[in-house]
Amino acid sequence: MPRDLTPSTIENTFVLKALTERIRLDSRSFNQLRDLDISFSSTEYGVVDVKLGRTRVIARISAEITQPYTDRPYDGLFIISTEISPMAAPTFEAGRKSEDELVISRIIEKSIRRSGALDTESLCIISGEKCWAVRADVHFLDHDGGLMDAACIAVSAGLLHFRRPDITIEGVGSRREVIVHPITERVPVPLAVLHVPVCVTFSFFDVRKASSAISGRTRKDEAKDVDEDDVEEEEEEEEDDSSVAVLVDATLQEELLRHGYMSVTANTNREICQIQKGGDMPVDVGVLLSCSEAAIMVAEKVTKLINKRLKEDEARRNVGNLLVEARAENDR
Amino acid sequence: MASRMEIFSPEGLRIDGRRWNEVRHFRCAINTHPVSSDGSAIIEQGNTKVICNVIGPVEPTLRSRVVPDRVSISVKVVVAPFSTIDRRKRSQNDSRIQEMCSSIQHVFEDAVIAHLFPRSQIDVNLYVVAQDGGVLQACINATTLALIDAGVPMYDYVCACTAGMLDREVLLDLNRIEESDMPFLTMATIGSKRKVALLQLEMKVQFDRLEPMMAASMSGCHHIRDLMDNEVRKHGKSRLERGSL
Repeated sequence: MPRDLTPSTIENTFVLKALTERIRLDSRSFNQLRDLDISFSSTEYGVVDVKLGRTRVIARISAEITQPYTDRPYDGLFIISTEISPMAAPTFEAGRKSEDELVISRIIEKSIRRSGALDTESLCIISGEKCWAVRADVHFLDHDGGLMDAACIAVSAGLLHFRRPDITIEGVGSRREVIVHPITERVPVPLAVLHVPVCVTFSFFDVRKASSAISGRTRKDEAKDVDEDDVEEEEEEEEDDSSVAVLVDATLQEELLRHGYMSVTANTNREICQIQKGGDMPVDVGVLLSCSEAAIMVAEKVTKLINKRLKEDEARRNVGNLLVEARAENDR
Repeated sequence: MASRMEIFSPEGLRIDGRRWNEVRHFRCAINTHPVSSDGSAIIEQGNTKVICNVIGPVEPTLRSRVVPDRVSISVKVVVAPFSTIDRRKRSQNDSRIQEMCSSIQHVFEDAVIAHLFPRSQIDVNLYVVAQDGGVLQACINATTLALIDAGVPMYDYVCACTAGMLDREVLLDLNRIEESDMPFLTMATIGSKRKVALLQLEMKVQFDRLEPMMAASMSGCHHIRDLMDNEVRKHGKSRLERGSL
């Protein structure tokens, strides 16, 4: 079994020391996202390549016609598959789910599927008989922290970009037939996306280095105080809040060293779709609330970028304005 | 069903007759399984019932569990097939249960004074006997009590409570029917301050509604902390009187 990555002690102290001086190793400010690059496949609908710094995720949306579940005859199917292969990082094993992978897949599931980003009722074709099954396959190509943030952006953008083939239903009663028109024949239809969830992960660092924020002082702390001095004293007297450094969009190194994290999924309607603060470092409620608010700001920024890229992609595809003229809903 | 039952009546009463800020009937007992484990507790919150057994700190059974500078905690949650209306055997690999295990484990890895027991392990076994909403909170509360019974030093009580938001009304400590009807969050606090160890929200909610929900669940957590503290003190006193310390 490949071992988990463990940063050295010297790396740990260096990063923490830098954080106390409000410096991140990649010279970003605490609330700054890495460079986000979203690009769509030029040939296919629903294939998105998201690069968040050096993290790279590809999502592919596909749809096929199947039978709905018997207990939900009016709902289509929506499946998100997030399997992390060793391609992303050597710590991930093929076939076996690690704890990180479980957390990532659950958060993406909650962020997008349970928050109702895709209206599954619109996927119904004939109730109880036929419906669309939309599938999102997420491939993690490179891991430099923030896998779930990148994956969430990729799936959200993919759903917006995807077009399913147009269909018509012919006949009545039990002799109804569904005709699927190939993309070459009719302009494909976009999915009913109700909102665009964006997941943002905040990393907490206890800059006082205590193993737990409530304990005040632990053995490690005291040992440190012996060789360090006044800088520490001032920190101690400040308010509790200041002992927590909150970082947005951590790199892999910061992720491995952080004392706690919270991932918040928000959208531009000022809704919070999901919050997951793991049990690690206890943090004041106020900090958590301000993180949630910050998540909304990030969501707005990211959604703006997604829409911009979508528009660019549409302009590239829509040569001679044919896509608009050939739409099914136009007058004939 | 929803048409006959009112989740929150205009008079301000919920389906089980509580007001918005009342927690369900809370009963707990510690040292319930003195032979089989080092620490044990039973928690009942309304109709949700959880049993917790703690074994440890002991020498790790596996080499891979040895952490040189701190104790390693592992959590197992067993959900009894008879705990809900539909009798279904859930496998240990259910992703919801696994997620619950990992979040409980992370909570207690930072609540226990871990560096006092290097190269040792603590096993926490939780049995969900009956579920009527708030399973995660009951599991966390039960683990706290069982760890106290086992004599594992902790920084403070870890207490969890849920709060939901129905339209504009905050409801504290939801039962199963309420849980399925509204967005809710589970919060675990440590001690009687504003320190949040765990926060989980699974459904979409307006940002403005978040703060009242968090405030309500925090007060619920503190209330549960007092209830658990009473029980622990009562138990300690009775043991002192029996002279069986």
